[in-house]
Amino acid sequence: MKVNLKYKLLLLLSMVVIVHSCVPDVDPPVTQPLFYQPEGFPATSGQLANNPVTYYGFSLGKKLFYDPILSLDSTISCGSCHQQFAAFAHLDHKLSHGINDLEGTRNAPPLFNLAWHSNFFWDGGSNHIEVQPIAPITNPVEMDESVANVIFKLKRSSYYPAMFKKAFGSDSITTQAMTRALAQFMSSLISANSKYDKVKAGSATFTVDEQNGYMLFKSKCESCHKEPLMTDLSYRNNGLDLHFAADPGRARITLQPSDSGKFKVPSLRNIAVSYPYMHDGRLNSLSKVIDHYRSGVIQSSTIDPLLSGGNMSITDAEKQQLILFLNTLTDPTFLNDKRFSEK
Amino acid sequence: MKNKLYSLFMIAFVAIAVSSCNDDETTPSTNNGPTTYNSGDVGLNFENIAGSVFLDPTGATNYVNASAETFSVTNFRYYISNVKLIKEDGSKYEVPNSYFLINANDTNSLLAELTDIPGGKYTGVEYMIGVDSARNVSGAQTGALDPANGMFWSWSTGYIFMKLEGQSSASSNNSFVYHIGGYSGVNRGQRTVSLDFTPSVLIVDGGKREAEIHILTDVLEIFKNPNNISIANGSNIMMVGPSSSNIANNYADMFSFDHIHNDPL
Repeated sequence: MKVNLKYKLLLLLSMVVIVHSCVPDVDPPVTQPLFYQPEGFPATSGQLANNPVTYYGFSLGKKLFYDPILSLDSTISCGSCHQQFAAFAHLDHKLSHGINDLEGTRNAPPLFNLAWHSNFFWDGGSNHIEVQPIAPITNPVEMDESVANVIFKLKRSSYYPAMFKKAFGSDSITTQAMTRALAQFMSSLISANSKYDKVKAGSATFTVDEQNGYMLFKSKCESCHKEPLMTDLSYRNNGLDLHFAADPGRARITLQPSDSGKFKVPSLRNIAVSYPYMHDGRLNSLSKVIDHYRSGVIQSSTIDPLLSGGNMSITDAEKQQLILFLNTLTDPTFLNDKRFSEK
Repeated sequence: MKNKLYSLFMIAFVAIAVSSCNDDETTPSTNNGPTTYNSGDVGLNFENIAGSVFLDPTGATNYVNASAETFSVTNFRYYISNVKLIKEDGSKYEVPNSYFLINANDTNSLLAELTDIPGGKYTGVEYMIGVDSARNVSGAQTGALDPANGMFWSWSTGYIFMKLEGQSSASSNNSFVYHIGGYSGVNRGQRTVSLDFTPSVLIVDGGKREAEIHILTDVLEIFKNPNNISIANGSNIMMVGPSSSNIANNYADMFSFDHIHNDPL
């Protein structure tokens, strides 16, 4: 009897907690805002100006992100190729995998700090975070679905209309509402709590090797992998190939031959956990990436001016220090943040 | 003598005709003061044609283009946007938020409704074929611009301004596809169209007159003036470039003003 009462009390208490957590939360909660401007980060792209992140918009976006309903045969979700433990890249897959085991032509990029990007994809072909999801949804070798049919499926679902209503005040499910919810979720994937960030904030210190690696990074890498985003968001040819017929990169979008072989400079944040590397995933370790810059840079007509002098001189000891520094860019808080997890 | 009488008769007739035109136009005026017209809706009606006949968008009818190639049409769609009505004094009324997707296979889409147009007399209409740059760079849009309408490139963001698809024996695979877009750069696909109603005048007087502008869209013009487009030389034009720009220069003049419906209700 006593046990029963205790149980009932516990149940009641937990219900109070559950009910409480369902109450429209402070958006965003004060202690853990869903979207915020990390100290030292530049201004955002401004693409959230008409789409402020709210708890319910974020929640709907997360639901959509992990829902294979977005694909033609309900087998692939965004999360299939963008896995949290790999900083939302596809670990160990060189190229993206779509429905029916179809293979794409590019390495699924990690997803974080996207509110600071104005263009998306390796070639920058998408010009807004709201329209970006339409590409993987409709790509025949990714989700192979039509936007109209996704909307149709969401409308007939038993729970999506209510989620859209909570998020946007209307249960009318539109492309815009869907992609804005996804934009809210994706924009909230902020990674700014690595050891590197803590060192910058004065709450941690680099080891001697990490510090030496950082100095090396500053002199050899930072002109493209600009702090604090660890990318200058530009498009560059880093000397992977002599010819670009297989993938012209940025030139596919601009149609300028001078952009052939150029791809977006990836951020180095979480780089240790988001292998393989390069737009086609050809290099599977940081060691190989550094070796590329030490001995593999191919001179071509569009080679980046910063690499036109040839290979970089980096000793084996320096390479190890560089890797130790790159490891400090891993953000365990972000990689394990339950708010972003499927379950 | 007989000639002179005839001339006088003609002059009188013309005078009456002119004066009756004037009367007609000033009908709304009363003795109570200056003429005022109510704001009202105007319909922009697009009738798709192929030369001298109405376009059959089901693929069942063959036409011949300027390169003497036989073709049929299964899909013909285009964006009309940024509509402006030209007033009698030459000034322009810009219809806010005017974006329309005309689809030959959807009769409901052929009438673009311009709502709440200021009352008055209009002598022409101006619009863009395509979608302005601003709406191409501002994220997901709604209504006619909803990406779900299938007139949107996602791999390289931008609206497809005009789609023409069909069958043709001139093509090696018996079909042709033209998807024309490009919101910026030298090969951009937007073109501005200006159509003059003269000698007709459109009176907008909400609730008192119908107001519908009928425009003909000639699919044959896509293949000519100024550039002869041959299906045999390129049956798939789906990227922004010199070829798409050539077609855009052609579709810039595929429209012609036909007539207005402006009878008192």
